[in-house]
Amino acid sequence: MPYSDSDSDGQQTGPGAQASVARTPVAPAAVKILIAGGFGVGKTTMVGSVSEIPPLHTEEQLTVAGLGVDDLDGVEQKTTTTVALDFGRITVSGRLVLYLFGTPGQERFWFMWNDLVHGALGAVVLADTRRLESSFASIDFFESRGVPFVVGVNCFHGVRDRTVAEIRDALDLDPRVPVVMGDLRERGDSRDLLLALVNRLMAGRPPAAIGG
Amino acid sequence: MRHWADASPDDDDAEEGLVRAYTITHGRTASARDDLTLITVIATVAPAERAGDRSLQPEHRTILRQCRTPVALAEVAAGLNLPVAVTKILVGDLITLDRVTARPPLAVAVGQEPDMTLLQAVKDALLRL
Repeated sequence: MPYSDSDSDGQQTGPGAQASVARTPVAPAAVKILIAGGFGVGKTTMVGSVSEIPPLHTEEQLTVAGLGVDDLDGVEQKTTTTVALDFGRITVSGRLVLYLFGTPGQERFWFMWNDLVHGALGAVVLADTRRLESSFASIDFFESRGVPFVVGVNCFHGVRDRTVAEIRDALDLDPRVPVVMGDLRERGDSRDLLLALVNRLMAGRPPAAIGG
Repeated sequence: MRHWADASPDDDDAEEGLVRAYTITHGRTASARDDLTLITVIATVAPAERAGDRSLQPEHRTILRQCRTPVALAEVAAGLNLPVAVTKILVGDLITLDRVTARPPLAVAVGQEPDMTLLQAVKDALLRL
Protein backbone atom coordinates (compact mmCIF):
# COMPACT_ATOMS: atom_id res chain seq x y z
CA MET A 1 0.00 0.00 0.00
CA PRO A 2 1.53 3.30 -1.03
CA TYR A 3 1.57 6.12 1.51
CA SER A 4 3.07 8.79 -0.67
CA ASP A 5 1.15 11.30 -2.70
CA SER A 6 2.25 9.99 -6.05
CA ASP A 7 -1.37 9.65 -7.08
CA SER A 8 -3.19 12.77 -8.17
CA ASP A 9 -6.48 12.57 -6.34
CA GLY A 10 -6.08 16.00 -4.82
CA GLN A 11 -5.67 14.75 -1.25
CA GLN A 12 -2.46 16.60 -0.64
CA THR A 13 -2.97 19.40 1.79
CA GLY A 14 -3.34 17.88 5.20
CA PRO A 15 -5.06 14.99 6.85
CA GLY A 16 -8.14 14.27 4.83
CA ALA A 17 -8.16 17.53 2.94
CA GLN A 18 -11.52 17.69 1.23
CA ALA A 19 -11.98 17.73 -2.49
CA SER A 20 -15.39 19.30 -2.08
CA VAL A 21 -17.85 20.04 0.68
CA ALA A 22 -20.46 17.65 -0.65
CA ARG A 23 -18.21 14.61 -0.79
CA THR A 24 -17.47 12.42 2.16
CA PRO A 25 -13.77 12.98 2.78
CA VAL A 26 -11.38 10.07 2.48
CA ALA A 27 -9.91 9.47 5.89
CA PRO A 28 -6.17 8.91 6.13
CA ALA A 29 -4.80 6.13 8.32
CA ALA A 30 -2.89 7.11 11.44
CA VAL A 31 0.21 5.86 13.24
CA LYS A 32 1.77 7.16 16.44
CA ILE A 33 5.04 7.61 18.26
CA LEU A 34 5.19 8.06 22.04
CA ILE A 35 7.33 10.71 23.72
CA ALA A 36 8.20 9.58 27.24
CA GLY A 37 10.56 10.57 30.04
CA GLY A 38 10.60 12.14 33.47
CA PHE A 39 9.05 15.36 34.70
CA GLY A 40 10.07 18.57 32.99
CA VAL A 41 12.38 16.87 30.53
CA GLY A 42 10.90 18.50 27.45
CA LYS A 43 8.21 16.13 26.16
CA THR A 44 5.68 18.80 25.36
CA THR A 45 8.46 21.05 24.02
CA MET A 46 9.43 18.35 21.56
CA VAL A 47 5.84 17.71 20.47
CA GLY A 48 5.42 21.44 19.90
CA SER A 49 8.60 21.87 17.92
CA VAL A 50 7.79 19.28 15.24
CA SER A 51 3.98 19.32 15.17
CA GLU A 52 2.22 21.10 12.32
CA ILE A 53 -0.50 22.19 14.76
CA PRO A 54 -0.07 23.77 18.21
CA PRO A 55 0.04 20.90 20.73
CA LEU A 56 -3.42 19.72 21.73
CA HIS A 57 -4.41 18.47 25.14
CA THR A 58 -6.75 15.77 26.35
CA GLU A 59 -7.05 13.48 29.31
CA GLU A 60 -8.43 10.22 30.54
CA GLN A 61 -9.55 8.99 33.93
CA LEU A 62 -8.05 5.65 34.87
CA THR A 63 -8.99 3.41 37.74
CA VAL A 64 -5.91 2.36 39.64
CA ALA A 65 -6.53 -0.70 41.77
CA GLY A 66 -4.34 -1.05 44.83
CA LEU A 67 -1.27 0.36 43.09
CA GLY A 68 1.05 2.36 45.30
CA VAL A 69 -1.55 2.45 48.03
CA ASP A 70 -0.67 1.24 51.50
CA ASP A 71 -2.92 -1.69 52.16
CA LEU A 72 -3.78 -1.48 55.85
CA ASP A 73 -6.91 -3.57 56.13
CA GLY A 74 -6.60 -6.13 53.38
CA VAL A 75 -9.32 -4.51 51.31
CA GLU A 76 -8.19 -3.69 47.82
CA GLN A 77 -8.43 0.02 47.32
CA LYS A 78 -9.34 1.66 44.08
CA THR A 79 -8.49 5.21 43.22
CA THR A 80 -9.12 7.20 40.10
CA THR A 81 -6.28 9.08 38.54
CA THR A 82 -6.37 11.50 35.64
CA VAL A 83 -3.68 11.04 33.05
CA ALA A 84 -3.06 14.00 30.78
CA LEU A 85 -1.81 13.91 27.24
CA ASP A 86 -0.28 16.50 24.93
CA PHE A 87 -0.11 15.59 21.31
CA GLY A 88 0.75 16.89 17.89
CA ARG A 89 0.43 15.86 14.28
CA ILE A 90 2.66 15.48 11.23
CA THR A 91 0.87 14.86 7.95
CA VAL A 92 2.84 12.31 5.96
CA SER A 93 0.54 12.34 2.95
CA GLY A 94 -3.15 12.42 2.16
CA ARG A 95 -3.19 8.78 3.15
CA LEU A 96 -1.12 8.75 6.30
CA VAL A 97 -0.86 10.91 9.42
CA LEU A 98 1.68 10.59 12.22
CA TYR A 99 0.62 11.55 15.75
CA LEU A 100 3.08 12.26 18.54
CA PHE A 101 1.86 11.66 22.07
CA GLY A 102 3.57 12.91 25.20
CA THR A 103 2.40 12.80 28.80
CA PRO A 104 3.13 16.16 30.38
CA GLY A 105 4.38 16.28 33.94
CA GLN A 106 5.09 13.33 36.12
CA GLU A 107 2.43 10.84 35.21
CA ARG A 108 2.99 7.79 37.33
CA PHE A 109 0.25 5.78 35.69
CA TRP A 110 0.46 6.72 32.04
CA PHE A 111 1.48 3.18 31.13
CA MET A 112 -1.91 1.94 32.33
CA TRP A 113 -3.50 3.85 29.49
CA ASN A 114 -3.37 0.81 27.21
CA ASP A 115 -4.87 2.71 24.33
CA LEU A 116 -1.92 5.09 24.49
CA VAL A 117 0.76 2.41 24.48
CA HIS A 118 -0.83 -0.14 22.18
CA GLY A 119 0.12 -0.06 18.51
CA ALA A 120 2.82 2.61 18.70
CA LEU A 121 5.51 2.47 16.00
CA GLY A 122 8.05 3.19 18.71
CA ALA A 123 9.00 5.64 21.40
CA VAL A 124 11.37 8.46 22.20
CA VAL A 125 12.61 8.50 25.80
CA LEU A 126 13.83 11.94 26.79
CA ALA A 127 16.52 12.32 29.40
CA ASP A 128 17.97 15.19 31.38
CA THR A 129 21.67 14.74 32.23
CA ARG A 130 21.11 16.26 35.68
CA ARG A 131 18.62 13.56 36.62
CA LEU A 132 19.03 10.59 34.37
CA GLU A 133 17.26 8.38 36.92
CA SER A 134 13.96 10.02 36.02
CA SER A 135 14.13 8.18 32.68
CA PHE A 136 14.69 4.72 34.11
CA ALA A 137 11.00 3.90 34.45
CA SER A 138 10.26 4.68 30.79
CA ILE A 139 13.29 2.74 29.54
CA ASP A 140 12.39 -0.29 31.66
CA PHE A 141 8.84 -0.12 30.43
CA PHE A 142 9.64 -0.06 26.71
CA GLU A 143 12.35 -2.71 27.09
CA SER A 144 9.94 -5.03 28.89
CA ARG A 145 7.24 -4.51 26.26
CA GLY A 146 9.63 -4.88 23.34
CA VAL A 147 8.74 -1.42 22.02
CA PRO A 148 11.65 0.02 19.99
CA PHE A 149 12.90 3.32 21.34
CA VAL A 150 15.65 5.91 21.09
CA VAL A 151 16.99 8.13 23.85
CA GLY A 152 17.05 11.88 23.35
CA VAL A 153 19.15 14.04 25.64
CA ASN A 154 17.78 17.54 25.94
CA CYS A 155 20.63 20.05 25.86
CA PHE A 156 19.32 23.56 26.33
CA HIS A 157 21.62 26.20 24.91
CA GLY A 158 23.94 23.51 23.61
CA VAL A 159 25.12 22.59 27.11
CA ARG A 160 26.55 19.07 26.91
CA ASP A 161 27.95 18.17 30.29
CA ARG A 162 28.03 14.42 29.60
CA THR A 163 29.20 12.42 26.64
CA VAL A 164 26.96 9.99 24.80
CA ALA A 165 29.10 7.15 26.14
CA GLU A 166 28.63 8.34 29.73
CA ILE A 167 24.88 8.57 29.26
CA ARG A 168 24.69 5.19 27.57
CA ASP A 169 26.63 3.70 30.45
CA ALA A 170 24.57 5.44 33.16
CA LEU A 171 21.32 4.27 31.56
CA ASP A 172 22.70 0.76 30.91
CA LEU A 173 21.42 0.88 27.33
CA ASP A 174 21.42 -1.86 24.75
CA PRO A 175 24.15 -0.86 22.23
CA ARG A 176 21.53 -0.82 19.47
CA VAL A 177 19.54 1.96 21.16
CA PRO A 178 20.56 5.26 19.55
CA VAL A 179 21.35 8.19 21.85
CA VAL A 180 20.87 11.61 20.29
CA MET A 181 21.81 14.94 21.87
CA GLY A 182 19.89 18.04 20.91
CA ASP A 183 17.95 21.14 21.83
CA LEU A 184 14.34 20.00 21.65
CA ARG A 185 13.12 23.55 21.15
CA GLU A 186 14.72 23.35 17.73
CA ARG A 187 12.59 21.66 15.10
CA GLY A 188 15.65 20.26 13.36
CA ASP A 189 16.96 18.61 16.53
CA SER A 190 13.58 17.09 17.43
CA ARG A 191 13.23 15.89 13.85
CA ASP A 192 16.66 14.23 13.99
CA LEU A 193 15.55 12.38 17.09
CA LEU A 194 12.45 11.06 15.29
CA LEU A 195 14.60 10.16 12.27
CA ALA A 196 16.91 8.16 14.55
CA LEU A 197 13.87 6.21 15.71
CA VAL A 198 12.61 5.60 12.17
CA ASN A 199 16.08 4.48 11.07
CA ARG A 200 16.20 2.08 13.99
CA LEU A 201 12.78 0.72 13.03
CA MET A 202 13.91 0.28 9.41
CA ALA A 203 17.02 -1.56 10.54
CA GLY A 204 14.61 -3.99 12.14
CA ARG A 205 15.48 -6.51 14.77
CA PRO A 206 18.48 -8.73 14.46
CA PRO A 207 17.49 -12.30 13.60
CA ALA A 208 16.56 -14.34 16.64
CA ALA A 209 19.17 -16.72 18.02
CA ILE A 210 20.17 -18.87 15.09
CA GLY A 211 19.62 -22.54 15.60
CA GLY A 212 17.91 -21.84 18.93
CA MET B 1 -14.48 28.59 43.83
CA ARG B 2 -17.14 30.55 42.03
CA HIS B 3 -20.82 29.81 42.48
CA TRP B 4 -22.47 28.42 39.37
CA ALA B 5 -25.10 31.16 39.41
CA ASP B 6 -22.38 33.78 39.02
CA ALA B 7 -21.62 32.66 35.49
CA SER B 8 -23.06 34.98 32.90
CA PRO B 9 -24.55 33.46 29.75
CA ASP B 10 -21.83 34.89 27.52
CA ASP B 11 -19.01 33.83 29.79
CA ASP B 12 -16.71 31.59 27.80
CA ASP B 13 -15.82 29.59 30.85
CA ALA B 14 -19.40 29.05 31.91
CA GLU B 15 -19.90 26.17 29.52
CA GLU B 16 -17.09 24.20 31.00
CA GLY B 17 -17.95 22.13 34.01
CA LEU B 18 -21.61 23.12 34.22
CA VAL B 19 -22.76 19.92 32.59
CA ARG B 20 -21.42 16.71 34.01
CA ALA B 21 -19.92 14.34 31.49
CA TYR B 22 -22.38 11.60 32.41
CA THR B 23 -25.26 13.92 31.59
CA ILE B 24 -23.93 14.37 28.07
CA THR B 25 -23.74 10.61 27.66
CA HIS B 26 -27.13 9.95 29.32
CA GLY B 27 -25.46 8.17 32.18
CA ARG B 28 -23.32 5.86 30.07
CA THR B 29 -19.79 5.49 31.33
CA ALA B 30 -18.38 3.08 28.77
CA SER B 31 -18.61 2.95 25.02
CA ALA B 32 -20.47 0.03 23.52
CA ARG B 33 -17.63 -0.08 21.01
CA ASP B 34 -14.20 -1.20 22.10
CA ASP B 35 -12.59 -0.72 18.70
CA LEU B 36 -12.15 3.05 18.96
CA THR B 37 -8.62 4.17 19.78
CA LEU B 38 -6.88 7.50 20.28
CA ILE B 39 -5.76 7.50 16.64
CA THR B 40 -8.87 6.07 15.01
CA VAL B 41 -9.56 8.65 12.30
CA ILE B 42 -13.13 9.97 12.39
CA ALA B 43 -14.72 11.45 9.24
CA THR B 44 -18.16 13.01 8.89
CA VAL B 45 -20.34 11.39 6.23
CA ALA B 46 -21.67 13.97 3.77
CA PRO B 47 -23.93 15.83 4.03
CA ALA B 48 -22.71 17.02 7.41
CA GLU B 49 -26.05 18.58 8.29
CA ARG B 50 -29.37 16.83 7.89
CA ALA B 51 -33.00 17.15 8.92
CA GLY B 52 -33.57 15.76 12.38
CA ASP B 53 -30.20 16.90 13.70
CA ARG B 54 -31.96 18.81 16.45
CA SER B 55 -32.39 15.51 18.28
CA LEU B 56 -28.61 15.25 18.54
CA GLN B 57 -26.67 16.57 21.52
CA PRO B 58 -24.73 19.78 20.88
CA GLU B 59 -21.55 17.73 21.35
CA HIS B 60 -22.62 15.39 18.55
CA ARG B 61 -23.07 18.35 16.24
CA THR B 62 -19.69 19.72 17.24
CA ILE B 63 -18.13 16.39 16.26
CA LEU B 64 -19.92 16.41 12.90
CA ARG B 65 -18.56 19.90 12.20
CA GLN B 66 -15.04 19.09 13.35
CA CYS B 67 -14.73 15.85 11.40
CA ARG B 68 -15.62 17.32 8.02
CA THR B 69 -11.86 17.22 7.80
CA PRO B 70 -11.03 13.76 9.18
CA VAL B 71 -9.09 13.83 12.44
CA ALA B 72 -8.01 11.32 15.06
CA LEU B 73 -10.32 10.67 18.00
CA ALA B 74 -7.79 12.30 20.34
CA GLU B 75 -8.22 15.54 18.39
CA VAL B 76 -11.99 15.23 18.69
CA ALA B 77 -11.63 14.83 22.48
CA ALA B 78 -9.32 17.85 22.64
CA GLY B 79 -11.79 19.89 20.57
CA LEU B 80 -14.69 18.94 22.84
CA ASN B 81 -12.59 19.39 25.99
CA LEU B 82 -13.99 16.10 27.25
CA PRO B 83 -12.22 12.97 28.49
CA VAL B 84 -11.38 10.40 25.85
CA ALA B 85 -13.82 7.84 27.30
CA VAL B 86 -16.74 10.27 26.97
CA THR B 87 -15.70 11.20 23.45
CA LYS B 88 -15.70 7.54 22.45
CA ILE B 89 -19.30 7.19 23.61
CA LEU B 90 -20.40 10.20 21.57
CA VAL B 91 -18.47 9.13 18.46
CA GLY B 92 -19.93 5.63 18.89
CA ASP B 93 -23.43 7.13 18.76
CA LEU B 94 -22.62 8.84 15.45
CA ILE B 95 -21.15 5.66 13.99
CA THR B 96 -24.38 3.82 14.89
CA LEU B 97 -26.32 6.57 13.10
CA ASP B 98 -24.02 6.28 10.05
CA ARG B 99 -23.09 9.92 10.44
CA VAL B 100 -19.35 9.36 10.76
CA THR B 101 -16.92 6.73 9.60
CA ALA B 102 -14.08 5.43 11.75
CA ARG B 103 -10.81 4.32 10.21
CA PRO B 104 -8.81 2.07 12.53
CA PRO B 105 -5.09 2.75 12.91
CA LEU B 106 -2.63 0.76 10.86
CA ALA B 107 -1.81 -2.42 12.73
CA VAL B 108 1.58 -2.20 14.35
CA ALA B 109 2.50 -5.14 16.52
CA VAL B 110 5.57 -5.69 18.63
CA GLY B 111 8.00 -8.07 16.97
CA GLN B 112 6.27 -7.84 13.61
CA GLU B 113 8.26 -7.29 10.42
CA PRO B 114 8.44 -3.54 9.88
CA ASP B 115 6.42 -2.11 6.99
CA MET B 116 9.24 -0.52 4.98
CA THR B 117 6.91 1.41 2.68
CA LEU B 118 5.23 3.03 5.66
CA LEU B 119 8.50 3.81 7.44
CA GLN B 120 10.02 5.28 4.28
CA ALA B 121 6.96 7.54 3.88
CA VAL B 122 7.31 8.70 7.50
CA LYS B 123 11.04 9.28 6.99
CA ASP B 124 10.43 11.32 3.84
CA ALA B 125 7.86 13.42 5.70
CA LEU B 126 10.32 14.09 8.54
CA LEU B 127 13.02 15.08 6.07
CA ARG B 128 10.61 17.62 4.60
CA LEU B 129 10.09 19.33 7.99
